[in-house]
Amino acid sequence: MDKRTTHFGFQDVPVEEKASRVADVFHSVAARYDVMNDLMSFGIHRLWKRLTIERAGVRPGHTVLDIAGGTGDLALKFSRIVGPSGKVVLADINASMLNVGRDKLIDNGAGGNVEYVQANAECLPFPDNTFDCITIAFGLRNVTDKDKALASMARILKPGGRLLVLEFSKPNNPLLSKAYDEYSFRLLPRMGEMVAGDADSYRYLAESIRMHPDQQTLKAMMETAGLERVEFTNLTGGIVALHRGIKL
Amino acid sequence: MALIPTLVLAGIEKTLNSLLSRDPAAPSRLRRLAGQRILLHLESPSVALVIAYHHQGIDLMLAESLADQDYDAVVEIDAEALGALASGTDMERLMFEGRLAVRGRIQLLEATRDLLLDLDLDWEAEMAHWLGDTPAHQLAEGLRGLSRWGIRTQRELRADVSEYVFEEARWLPGRQQFESLRDLLIDLEQATDRVEARLTRLNRLLEPEESES
Repeated sequence: MDKRTTHFGFQDVPVEEKASRVADVFHSVAARYDVMNDLMSFGIHRLWKRLTIERAGVRPGHTVLDIAGGTGDLALKFSRIVGPSGKVVLADINASMLNVGRDKLIDNGAGGNVEYVQANAECLPFPDNTFDCITIAFGLRNVTDKDKALASMARILKPGGRLLVLEFSKPNNPLLSKAYDEYSFRLLPRMGEMVAGDADSYRYLAESIRMHPDQQTLKAMMETAGLERVEFTNLTGGIVALHRGIKL
Repeated sequence: MALIPTLVLAGIEKTLNSLLSRDPAAPSRLRRLAGQRILLHLESPSVALVIAYHHQGIDLMLAESLADQDYDAVVEIDAEALGALASGTDMERLMFEGRLAVRGRIQLLEATRDLLLDLDLDWEAEMAHWLGDTPAHQLAEGLRGLSRWGIRTQRELRADVSEYVFEEARWLPGRQQFESLRDLLIDLEQATDRVEARLTRLNRLLEPEESES
């Protein structure tokens, strides 16, 4: 692959174009994002996120950053856990997603301890050693330079802080893998067309999942970024994996 | 497999929050509890759960940290004692029996029990939300009437069966007869004990004479 290109699904695109193309995808689906997540995952994405919150080990008074926080599922629960003495920052590169997330959080009574920041995960605008916990759920695969993003996250984690990456991964059963391919390449774009009126965005979703590093590769990337005790848990047969690393 | 406990907890949490949202008294109770956390160590099955309160209800999570200082109260209890606690058994009694241990704010456990056991659900308001005020009121009145009829019928049936069994068929003794018989049996038991004691004493007195002859 040419050094000046990167993946956008199965296509190679110039590095500087990927962020704007990903932004177009999410501008297009923001309004129907939650509905589509429920439909696509049969509601299981809520359990994946619950497990992420449990493993985050967040306590009252903690400072938490939810990157690519989208419509605020994790941030809402974190804001309750950290309480008035803590702080949650919901960050997303995409203004449309951030607006939907902010409205949803306000509607659900989360306000005083939540801040909203439009930021690129590769160059997070926070001082070193700021956060007790950072989460990124279904966002890392859309980042142009994943190594740079992971290094940026490690920089702003406090010593002892945790980074949790919830992301689609590689199924560990060949039969499940086959069924999953059929579902994501045939059914998913049709569902996207019907519900969100946008088949291409959901085709990109399926392709970007296939191009994302597998469990072991992502673990190695997190270790290279400076995180230690990195471990992962396969969820739903490896369709999704939750990686957790600690900055020591 | 990692998701099964999460699924179970999500189901319990959703059910409890749904019930709490229908109790008119719950918001003021939750306001007092918001921000506090209990660590519940359940024995057999061995599970550590976090109960965290917020203004809209409770969050249930598997505990990531087991350090006492991260929680307002730490509760150690077995499944049987938890069932007893939920059914209204006195907390002090369970603690005295060594089946329940609480560290930290014990009032938090009492408040939790009160919150969940004193649920007073306003079903009529919930039905009104779906059916409208008048049909919901009529339906609620119908259900209340049915409930009253059920309780009355059950009471009458019990009285009729009792009368037949004790008075007409005389299959079982009445309460007074039973208590009189019980008193007589107690007297008989005491008399038998006294006779047995005297016989033992006589036996002891006769034994040395037999050994001398």
